[in-house]
Amino acid sequence: MLGLPELQASFARALLGFGDDAISDAIAEDGLSRELRLDIYRNTVLVSLTDALAATFPVVCRLVDERFFRYAAAEFIRAHPPERPCLSAYGEGFAHFLAAFPACRELVYLPDMARLEWLMHRAAHAQDAAPISPAALGGLAEAEMPRLVLELDPSLGLVSSPWPIDRIWRANRCGADGAERIDLSSGGARLEVRRVADEILLGTLDPGRFAFRAELQRGSTLARAAEAALAADSGFDLTRALADLFREGAVVAIGLAPPEDLRS
Amino acid sequence: MNGADAVYKVTNGSASMPARAGIGLRGPHMAEIAATRPAIGWLEVHTENYIESGPGLRRLEAIRRDYPVSLHGVGLSLGSAEGLDASHLAALAALAARIEPGLVSEHLSWSVTGGVYLNDLLPLPYTEESLEVVCWNVDRVQQALGRAILVENPSAYLRFRHSPISEPEFLSALAQRTGCGILCDVNNIYVTAVNFGFDPAAYVDALPPAAIGEIHLAGHFRTERRDKTLLIDDHGDRVVSPVWELYERALRRFGRVPTLIEWDKRLPELPVLLDEAARADAVAQTALGEGAHARAA
Repeated sequence: MLGLPELQASFARALLGFGDDAISDAIAEDGLSRELRLDIYRNTVLVSLTDALAATFPVVCRLVDERFFRYAAAEFIRAHPPERPCLSAYGEGFAHFLAAFPACRELVYLPDMARLEWLMHRAAHAQDAAPISPAALGGLAEAEMPRLVLELDPSLGLVSSPWPIDRIWRANRCGADGAERIDLSSGGARLEVRRVADEILLGTLDPGRFAFRAELQRGSTLARAAEAALAADSGFDLTRALADLFREGAVVAIGLAPPEDLRS
Repeated sequence: MNGADAVYKVTNGSASMPARAGIGLRGPHMAEIAATRPAIGWLEVHTENYIESGPGLRRLEAIRRDYPVSLHGVGLSLGSAEGLDASHLAALAALAARIEPGLVSEHLSWSVTGGVYLNDLLPLPYTEESLEVVCWNVDRVQQALGRAILVENPSAYLRFRHSPISEPEFLSALAQRTGCGILCDVNNIYVTAVNFGFDPAAYVDALPPAAIGEIHLAGHFRTERRDKTLLIDDHGDRVVSPVWELYERALRRFGRVPTLIEWDKRLPELPVLLDEAARADAVAQTALGEGAHARAA
């Protein structure tokens, strides 16, 4: 007879598709095979999690067709089952999984599309945060500005790709006819996703702004972010880029890094 | 921790919950309910849908101004031998502090093992070991929330060979040891009874009336596996006649308590849910008389 911890571990292995005799022996047949009884639970787990992934990654699902998506999702679920009971948090690793999934190697842009859809999903669920005004910078001394850190809107997400994933997304999103042909060599994309007034916005950024915002989002100082932006675009205008962030309502808090952080 | 004296009283938690019918609040109906404010006693939401969603929480808070709300969890995993996820419990406590729900409920099942969440209400063997695990976990939830919770009987498709305690006995013992209440899902009793060939009326008769804090009603679907009829609890249809009859029996035994119409799969237009809720109220009035004493009101 199994103790409860072993019974639950064995049950979970059986549900995720790894045969387990221990749990089978613990189940009463009651006129139906144990495997058929386990199948009811296995099916609920796989179907509900697959449906959750399909809702989070609708364009990926459309690009590979639904049957293939369900197959790929089942493989992902078995390898990476959820670790928390909030399904809105499930699927972060799907892009990474697709990148290594041999069966869709030819769809080179698919992992980046999954990254984009994940950011859209997270933007839809992100906590509300009120933007602050640039007047908040008024209290800072000139010498403190390089150590400035900005907390960006929690719904803001950034993704870049060597493929035109924004155009592919628009051509295949819900309601599009999917008929548009997109030249994969037509150039990559640096994209920003945000939720504004409960709408998910998708915009493109130039290389300087993309690098600037990506560094800031990582928690880097203004000095470090400006350096990265200049490396990406020698014409980068820091004053304007900073003003734009505030004007777009994308800054929700500011702080100062300790002085020693400037060296890093 | 599992003292014989219950620290929490079920009725405290139900003070703001009317003993009439409510409906499960689902995303596609939210805007319509906020705009039309239908005459429904109360609303129940799935806790996990509001734990990590800023906009969802904002909409729920708006609806909460007009209706009593019950938080019904599916992810706490009260039956997990490894104990509860502390961060999920903290998130539930924070949500409860914000929403001030009339009731908080969970299931007599498990879904977490080895840190993996299986997204289903999995069955427990009903043993003394399981009872200790569930009591321990329920105690922890009630301490974190500072109130009694309700624990619901799940639908089941398999039983364990070693499961010496009956489900109603298990729930009775749980309620007695922890002071929690019981959420009696009448459809789940019916589904499980058909699946295992026992008498659902005898199950209802074996539950302790004083512990019942809420009733759930829902639809299910019928399937055949190897010439055997199985009922699957998918909350995807209207309540069937035998379940309405069982509901009447439950009401006569428990008195009138808040009753929920649950609908998840193939969600219909809002009026269908309101119609089922009106029927639940009508059944209660017929069964108990017009001025029936509403125990939890």
